Amino acid sequence: MLKRFLFLQWKSFVRGAGFATGLAQKILLGFGWVYSGFIFSALAFAAFYLVQDELGKDPLPYISGHLIYGFAFWIVLRYFLQKMPMVHVQPLLALPVSKKAIVRFGLSKTIFSFFNLSNLFFFVPFGVILLREEYSLFGVIGWWLAIGSLILATNFLNIMLNSIDRILILVAALLAGLFALQYFEIIDLAAWTTPLFMAPYNQPLWALVPLGLLMLSYRWSFAHFKNKLFLDNEAMRPKKETHRVADLGWLDRFGRISLFLRNDIRLILRNKGARASVWMGFAFLFYGLVFMNDIYSSPVWMVFVGIFVSGGFLFGFGQYVPSWDSSYYPLMMTQNIAYKEYLASKWWLIVVGILTSMILSSFYIFFGWETYFAILAGGVYNIGINAYLVLLSGAYTRTAIDLTSAKKAFGDKKSFNLKTILLSIPKIILPMFVFYVGVLVHSKGMGIAFVALVGVLGFAFRNLVFGWIEKIYQHEKYQTLQAYKQKNT
Amino acid sequence: MIEITSLSKTYGTQTVLDIPQLHIAPGQTFGLVGNNGAGKTTLFSLILDLILPTSGTVTNNDIVVQKSEDWKSHTAAFLDESFLIGYLTPEEYFVFIGSLRGMKKEDVNEALNQYTDFFHGEVLGQKKYIRDLSKGNQKKVGIVATLLSNTQLVILDEPFANLDPTTQIRLKNLLKEEASASGKTFLISSHDLQHVTEVCDRIVVLHQGKIVRDDVTSTGTLKELEDFFREQL
Repeated sequence: MLKRFLFLQWKSFVRGAGFATGLAQKILLGFGWVYSGFIFSALAFAAFYLVQDELGKDPLPYISGHLIYGFAFWIVLRYFLQKMPMVHVQPLLALPVSKKAIVRFGLSKTIFSFFNLSNLFFFVPFGVILLREEYSLFGVIGWWLAIGSLILATNFLNIMLNSIDRILILVAALLAGLFALQYFEIIDLAAWTTPLFMAPYNQPLWALVPLGLLMLSYRWSFAHFKNKLFLDNEAMRPKKETHRVADLGWLDRFGRISLFLRNDIRLILRNKGARASVWMGFAFLFYGLVFMNDIYSSPVWMVFVGIFVSGGFLFGFGQYVPSWDSSYYPLMMTQNIAYKEYLASKWWLIVVGILTSMILSSFYIFFGWETYFAILAGGVYNIGINAYLVLLSGAYTRTAIDLTSAKKAFGDKKSFNLKTILLSIPKIILPMFVFYVGVLVHSKGMGIAFVALVGVLGFAFRNLVFGWIEKIYQHEKYQTLQAYKQKNT
Repeated sequence: MIEITSLSKTYGTQTVLDIPQLHIAPGQTFGLVGNNGAGKTTLFSLILDLILPTSGTVTNNDIVVQKSEDWKSHTAAFLDESFLIGYLTPEEYFVFIGSLRGMKKEDVNEALNQYTDFFHGEVLGQKKYIRDLSKGNQKKVGIVATLLSNTQLVILDEPFANLDPTTQIRLKNLLKEEASASGKTFLISSHDLQHVTEVCDRIVVLHQGKIVRDDVTSTGTLKELEDFFREQL
């Protein structure tokens, strides 16, 4: 049975839209694996020896104490990036295949995700170092088993987060609560959890607890999916979410573009993937907080932060224009719409998103006006330059997004092709370069002004650039239509 | 209305469509029949500039479709569900399509009144998104959207498939009325010989990418077509 499933999986992979064209991206993907393997292994060495030599502490309890942050971060990252298991269930249901086998296959598939395997790159070298440094063998095995079980348990937890909103809210609240407790120094999570994570090392039998958790989380998601394995599942659910937005009549004053804007707003409100991307953009607003401590040590990062904080919507949603419209792209191509109008409406949507981020990020004023000005300059640059670049890379992205499924817009290997990656470099590197020139000429202030100025210049050449992008879209149209036809996983 | 010259489409070594010459006059109700793989959808996709021809051109009202987008203003088409926007309600979808053709919301609602019979109370006012409608009802939405506005050319791919028998009859009546009253040009493909011969005044048979028959519909046409396809057995 497993052999047959693997056969189907392999065929869908080899015959997918991305395969034939994307040898370069396959190589890039492989390179990414090697790279992350290298980084993670290096991290393992650093974690051990830096803690030992620089901090003068025993690395194992120290790392164990900090694992809680790692797990929290990993859960968030997984939720946004990890692809959900998709087995093409429909044709299998009527065949003599037990439902258990289908679910088991779907769930085991997720184990081989980057988000699980990449941890091996860290924990295997780390374990080897521990043994070489004469930590107890059984202790290390117990510790290893415990951490491994927990990592896999979060894998199944993430599956549940993706399927049941209540669980998602619960876990999000829990994480936020823990973060708040730590941030306001009410409790020190590291100190609290060190004994917990050290227990399996001191007494390997304790590893049975995380192992039990893993079993539990697997059972749970197994039961959940097995019950969901009916075709009418979607159809039988009472449709309560229609007409979330009544009319949006106020948009009419923007003329013809309002037609598209209205659709895009509905797209965001009514489709999970689009909603997630906007939330992700919202989360970017707080990205700068990570840098606030050492931002003054290297001023170039100010611009980096400025681009990201103001560009959350641009990177989250804008990145996938026009893929959002992939399921009805032939309609858009035959309606009475000039390409220019279509692109302009997307551009406006992105601009509104950037402006909103610029306003919402005003709380950075607490960290000094200079910081906020850097964000504003980043925003202007995003409007003047990056909004075009996003549209431009959109012409080459060609990933069909299946709106009807809850599939994630992220982490889909097809959404990265070489051209998109190349086009995303200038979005971030170029403004940093411009800023640096300003710093060399005069000062940080001048650098910020330069970034904003480039943005304004880009804005001034709008019509010219639009004409140019339009030509590219026109040229890529047939290939895009062809690629959108293939909606497989 | 439509002028096709030496049009061909080749994938690799296989020529899926090869039409030296085809003229479709304004106001004509043009039926396209043929077995699977005969090239019907390919022809429509070429007319709508959704795929590039290997050679030749399609002219829609003197506009070469590969060169200019101006043909879009007088052309409406429904080929498959990729012409629907799943997350809209049918009403929102009609308003969107109507507005693109310069209709106000009120005009759209007024125009929709003519189709209440056709919808059979299953489409409008359901508070459902199009993606949650049945295949048949989705089809109704797509077809009506092409008829709603005053376009000169309407292209429908397999409009009768997936519809229930009553609706098929309603659709036939609807198309006949529209064709005679409005002077619109219709391009309709179908597997159902009887429906096509009833609705269309000219029928072209595609076989392996080539036009093998081109008839003005008369009382004997259905019989002749049936005989033709029986010979293919």
